[in-house]
Amino acid sequence: MHNVWTLVQREYLERVRSRSFVIFTLLMPALMAASVLIPEKLAEMNSGGEQQIVIVANDPQLAVAVGKQLGKPRPKSALYGGEANRAPVVYTIQVDTDTSEAEGDRLRQQVSDGRITGVLWLTNDALAQHEVTYSTREAADFSQSVDLQIAVATAVTRRQLEQKGISGAEAEAMLTPIDLNTVRIEKGKEGASGTTVFITAFAMVMLLYGVVMIYGMAVMRSVIEEKSTRILEVLLSSVTSKELLAGKILGVGAVGLTQILVWVLFAALFSVPGLLVAKSFLGELHIPVMGMVAFAVFFLLGYLLYSSMYAAIGSMVNTEHEAQQMQWPAMLPIVFAVFLMNVPIQHPSSTISFWLSMIPFFAPILMLVRILIEQPPLWQIVLCIAIMLATIYGLLGLSSRIYRVGILMYGKRPTLPEIRRWLKYAG
Amino acid sequence: MADVVELAGIRKSYDHFVAVDDLSFVIRAGSVYGLLGPNGAGKTSTIRMMIGITMPDDGEVRLFGEKFHRSQLGRVGYLPEERGLYKRMKVLDHLVFLGRLHGLSEHEARRRSLAWCKRLQLEEWAHKKVEELSKGMQQKIQFAAALLHEPDLIIMDEPFAGLDPANALTLKDILIELKKSGKTILFSTHRMDQVERLCDAICLIDHGRALLEGDLAKIKASYGKNHVQMQYDGDPRLEECPLVQSINNYGNYVEVRLKPGADAQQLLRLATERARISRFELLEPSLEEIFIEQVGNHA
Repeated sequence: MHNVWTLVQREYLERVRSRSFVIFTLLMPALMAASVLIPEKLAEMNSGGEQQIVIVANDPQLAVAVGKQLGKPRPKSALYGGEANRAPVVYTIQVDTDTSEAEGDRLRQQVSDGRITGVLWLTNDALAQHEVTYSTREAADFSQSVDLQIAVATAVTRRQLEQKGISGAEAEAMLTPIDLNTVRIEKGKEGASGTTVFITAFAMVMLLYGVVMIYGMAVMRSVIEEKSTRILEVLLSSVTSKELLAGKILGVGAVGLTQILVWVLFAALFSVPGLLVAKSFLGELHIPVMGMVAFAVFFLLGYLLYSSMYAAIGSMVNTEHEAQQMQWPAMLPIVFAVFLMNVPIQHPSSTISFWLSMIPFFAPILMLVRILIEQPPLWQIVLCIAIMLATIYGLLGLSSRIYRVGILMYGKRPTLPEIRRWLKYAG
Repeated sequence: MADVVELAGIRKSYDHFVAVDDLSFVIRAGSVYGLLGPNGAGKTSTIRMMIGITMPDDGEVRLFGEKFHRSQLGRVGYLPEERGLYKRMKVLDHLVFLGRLHGLSEHEARRRSLAWCKRLQLEEWAHKKVEELSKGMQQKIQFAAALLHEPDLIIMDEPFAGLDPANALTLKDILIELKKSGKTILFSTHRMDQVERLCDAICLIDHGRALLEGDLAKIKASYGKNHVQMQYDGDPRLEECPLVQSINNYGNYVEVRLKPGADAQQLLRLATERARISRFELLEPSLEEIFIEQVGNHA
């Protein structure tokens, strides 16, 4: 035990002190923040300011009504969320009743020259066909077309209501859009919205996939390094191969947990002001405590499972180049699990989701998805963890046998029958 | 004093390849023992079984008078032939790490590491990374690492390989000093000149089997004085002489190995008939000659 502790300490300290660890740990949150903030800032810069729109209509009253509608704040739910922090757009409306082809060409030229933002063709013909065109120089701004669509639809409906004798407050009440909030039921209580849960689950699962792969490969590279620097035999004169393997896996795993902890702290620091000032993307991330615990548990289980395979692969080869050709048995299952993620996302409690999430190689991804989307019964989680632990136990036994023989073998890469014989020697 | 190492009929095979076959020898406390053999003879395999890196398929390993168990490793220092260090670790940290694996406390490991750095003139390198050191310096660090915990049994696989003469001398002096202080040293090599000067006893192995084992002086004596060095004028024409096993002719100087049972006096008489002899000396064979003869016979 003392030896394992010394090995863990070395592995941990050497890694955490390394420049690459510090840079990667700090850079990752910065990149994540940038990937959220920069597009948002850009969108803000684009969306704000004044937009000059010419509405070409046979009916000037309708055009004015559309213009008035555009001036109103948009309903908050409209099709996609996170709009509250958009800078308000000021629309300057010009009404043009000349629907001739010549006037059309003139307006198009103006749009092209950038003198006006766009032209909305609200002719009687277009209305009759229920298809209105908006011409603009800028590439489709989704937000703006939503604004226009709502304005046109509302104005047209209002006029139709008026024609049927409904107007004023009565019409206003009928025209007020109804918001739809998707609410998730969690333990009999209402929780966060469905979209938020989905985004959170997706982000967490991808993060888990990333760290399991990164640290699994780190174990493999570290084994290869020890082989190629020929330090293994020096170490083996005082520790057993099992202690070495345990020290390596635990040490690298501790580094992984440290990194995750740092990132979680960053995310918390970042999302708190984010929540207060503006509801940014990260602010929307709703990370339940249960989810956090599940993440930590499944990271550890997944890491132990995959890193024991990576350690065995590392011990079989001499160079990283060779390792690249050998690592598919460790890579395939987890990549496959990510492909299968859609199944539990859409039907978290279906039979197929249940069985898929019980396969130990998929469980870190798929059981985590299920827990984050819709908490499965406790017995399923316990069963899944038990299956994983049993698999890890078996795999570690197998890997440590391969490792024990492999680390003393140099030269040619072993064939499958040779590996089978290694398992025999080590017995 | 008790025997420090006892191997009794150990055997190790990998598939059809037998690395070590029914090997037995003992190493007396306080002696310097040479494990000799050509490349691939099974030296490293034997050492690995001696310290539990691999287990023998058959036979028994006893250390310090007891059946091998891992706790004895605290009394063993091992410098493998395939040796290396973590390149990016600092020299002192590295030594402390290896010392701690041998059961030293952090404080004690640090104190001893610094003392070794000083002794090996590596003080100013103690806080540098291993990769900044020259190959010779790294070897000295590895040497120190094997001795940090003051082991009673020191096992060194080709310790002088790749060392320049100055460093080899430092290392040899340390080994002699350790021997004087009562430590037992086993080293494996195929450099016979070093063995001849340093070892008390040897085991010569080839294809995993012992060809010769025991006290070096006795082994050499058992070969008898059957080597002749002769200086002459003229031509003694010894090539076709029935007494001669083999001959190494340098013109007016020859080294002759006599056939078993051949009488050196008869050779001298024969030679004086044909040439003027200025020097005639009867010698024991060198270890190198024994090695070549033994390994050649069994090849």
